[in-house]
Amino acid sequence: MKINGTCHCGYITYKGEIDPEKVALCHCTDCQTLSGTAFRVIAPVPDTSFKMLGGEPTIYIKTGESGNRREQAFCPRCGAPIYSTPPGAGPKNYNLRAGTIRQRNQLVPKNEIWARSKQAWINDITSIHSLEKQ
Amino acid sequence: MKIHASCHCGYIKFEGEADPEKVTVCHCTDCQTSTGTAFRTNVPIPGPSFKLVSGEPATYIKTTAESGNPRAQTFCPKCGTPLYSTNPGDGPKPSYMVRVGILRERDQLTPKVQIWTRSSRPWVNSLEAVRKTEKGLT
Repeated sequence: MKINGTCHCGYITYKGEIDPEKVALCHCTDCQTLSGTAFRVIAPVPDTSFKMLGGEPTIYIKTGESGNRREQAFCPRCGAPIYSTPPGAGPKNYNLRAGTIRQRNQLVPKNEIWARSKQAWINDITSIHSLEKQ
Repeated sequence: MKIHASCHCGYIKFEGEADPEKVTVCHCTDCQTSTGTAFRTNVPIPGPSFKLVSGEPATYIKTTAESGNPRAQTFCPKCGTPLYSTNPGDGPKPSYMVRVGILRERDQLTPKVQIWTRSSRPWVNSLEAVRKTEKGLT
């Protein structure tokens, strides 16, 4: 499906074509820290369809447990995470951060990865008191 | 309880005193975009307990709240990790809303309330059905 996205302040904009079946949650501790929350939601987009429309993200190079280096892109103005990708030329995917995708309402995760470091309370989230607003 | 925060690259470090009973999940659309994921997890710490140990956070003033209130959102300028939100401007702050994912003690912090659930991702309540792997995709 065709998607487009933007960071919170609007400086970064992008578009691409993703496979909704490949949307995943990542519970790894790197994603917990880099998102500041419990897990990340990612939607891979091939470099052949991914296009940056505006802005220039800041790149942070992270080294994972595997030793692999990954570029983590975020907006230099509002800090919103945008994507990760292997350094260097393609062919490759960009793992978009689904919260920045305008069509996120239509994206349902099909896989959860790194479940060994999942925050325990997530399985009982329906028991946590809920308020429609604040 | 005492909390210790660090961004992913280690440039920013701070400490404070948090009440574990006040951990919240925020499902508002601002938090979805600013984290790039489904919701944020927050814990407030009182201003007097906040101690910046190293680094200088970048600040983004968000003005899109339904209330109209501007809010300072901070992140690490080197790795992008979200840190906390607080009142804009200089001087002492009454409190800081700290992003739980950056805390050494995060495994001990269970949310007690969820807010702005009118915009929550419906699938968050039915994760049992999603295929899981202990490590990365195989």
